[in-house]
Amino acid sequence: MIELKNVEKHFKKPIRGKGVWGMFKSLFSRKYTVVKAVDGVSFTVDDGEAVGYIGANGAGKSTTIKMMSGILTPTGGEILIDGKHPYKSKERNAVLKTIGVVFGQKTQLWYDLPLTETYELLKYIYDVPQEDYTRRMGELIELLDMKPFMDAPVRTLSLGQRMRADLAAAMLHNPKTLFLDEPTIGLDVLVKRNLVDAINKLKTQYNTTLILTTHAMSDIELLCERVIILDAGKVLFDGSLDAVKHMFGDTRDIKVTAKTPIDGEAVALVFGGAVTKHTAEDGGHSVTFTIDGTKLSTGELLNHVFGRYEVADVKISETGIEQVVEKIYEKNKNETSEDGDAQGAD
Amino acid sequence: MIKELKLYPKYVSMSLRSGLSYKADSFIMMISFALTEIISLATVYLIVGSVPQIGIWTFNALAFLFGFTLVPKAIDHIFTDELWILAYWAVRHGDLDIYLTRPLNPLYQYIAKTFKWDGIGEFAVGIIIMCIFGPMSGIVWSFSGVMALILCGFFGIFVFTGIKLIFASLAFWIKSSGIILNTVYNLAGYAKYPLKYMGKAFMSIMFYVIPFGLMLYYPIECLITGSNIWWAVLFSAVAAVVIMALGLLVWNIGIKRYDSAGN
Repeated sequence: MIELKNVEKHFKKPIRGKGVWGMFKSLFSRKYTVVKAVDGVSFTVDDGEAVGYIGANGAGKSTTIKMMSGILTPTGGEILIDGKHPYKSKERNAVLKTIGVVFGQKTQLWYDLPLTETYELLKYIYDVPQEDYTRRMGELIELLDMKPFMDAPVRTLSLGQRMRADLAAAMLHNPKTLFLDEPTIGLDVLVKRNLVDAINKLKTQYNTTLILTTHAMSDIELLCERVIILDAGKVLFDGSLDAVKHMFGDTRDIKVTAKTPIDGEAVALVFGGAVTKHTAEDGGHSVTFTIDGTKLSTGELLNHVFGRYEVADVKISETGIEQVVEKIYEKNKNETSEDGDAQGAD
Repeated sequence: MIKELKLYPKYVSMSLRSGLSYKADSFIMMISFALTEIISLATVYLIVGSVPQIGIWTFNALAFLFGFTLVPKAIDHIFTDELWILAYWAVRHGDLDIYLTRPLNPLYQYIAKTFKWDGIGEFAVGIIIMCIFGPMSGIVWSFSGVMALILCGFFGIFVFTGIKLIFASLAFWIKSSGIILNTVYNLAGYAKYPLKYMGKAFMSIMFYVIPFGLMLYYPIECLITGSNIWWAVLFSAVAAVVIMALGLLVWNIGIKRYDSAGN
């Protein structure tokens, strides 16, 4: 079980002079600005849960993950992983043996050596017995489809392969909890889908607790049952994925471009209230449909359009996390003005 | 501690094999380190050659001192070269993250991953110079003297490592401390010359603040003048313990302030 109690992380940014002397002076200077990256975050994650931890850039999600995985020491509050603090030197090693961490933008693999070398080293670092190691390695190679590149130096791997290899490295010691910090960043759609599938398989097979940060709502939809939304270092929302969808209505914009003009009105009429808006451009050659994802799937709409028009191009834009945050803010504001009292006073 | 020792050969072998891709690079580095020192000694010869000797120091004695300073420096270079990256780069770029998520001492992991065998060039030059000029330096050799010198060299390694650790760890406060580390580290170069004639203030700094003079120059001075070199051993040992302890302290405080880097 993971417990965060009123966790804070403040970064002091020294106001710094120029050049070597300025750098030296800042050593002794007391002038700094305080950035509250994480500002009083509390939540509990039970064993086996899959939690999506989302927020816009700079919301503090990576900082929280880094505090949970022993990289950063909180400025205030307490983090307990099965009753132990990951950032205290005496409890560190015990906690770290039960967690695995994957950063989308950093690798823990040995750059110039084949993958097996890193795995061997990790085996020793985590004290994994030889038979467990052999069995588990076999399972992971199978599950993550790593056989083709096991003997290639890491520097020759593609980003998608490297991410799978990093996942395997993090899972080698059978961690109870797996932290994934933006694991799908920079991957193209197909590779991303493969990786998400692989994570899903790992989760089901080993019943690992999953804590995942990402920008893409689609990752969360496929992996998590629970969502925690963070903004400016505070928890804005903590609840089930369905509740989030319900809150912001799950709208999607689909832009269809065809060789002949599309009658947007007619298409909208077929689906009734499910198509909430349609705007034509280019004399009707491209039409953007805004649909309600809870009532109509993208596929259904596209099937209908494909059957009637010669479609040249389709562009689907999902609601980004920024829009969700915006919506939640709006909702909070409305509720505040309706109730007439301030919400979330702290 | 036992786990760290057991793992070290594994790290060395990985580092060596991963360096195989850049074999030529390392080889050139090795040769250039060795050449730099040989040319530097030639410069000393050109300067000192025009005067018969400086005080008690003949060129042969100076050359022996020169050789001795290279040995602990080279050994430190072989084992802890990664500290330079810490000073210049790693803190600023958040490269320590992965070591902090593993159940093994992060400083050990960070240092152990790089084994710079190209330092062997410098080491060999140092030993060869000592062997050539030792007998001609006017030092009266005894078994005890040799043992003491070896011990001084051994403690000297830790003074180098400790000073690198202190000033590289400053990066936790100022993000990049490479320039400061470089400045301090280069002070070791002055210990190749008779510090006695460089003014009291500078000599005090080199003895009591940044003790390169104490552990590199002082033992040889003892040998040349015939003073008891075991005092130099004692001072070097104290300096090594104090500097290493300070280094570990600065690292341990620093790592708690480690900010990582944003995405």
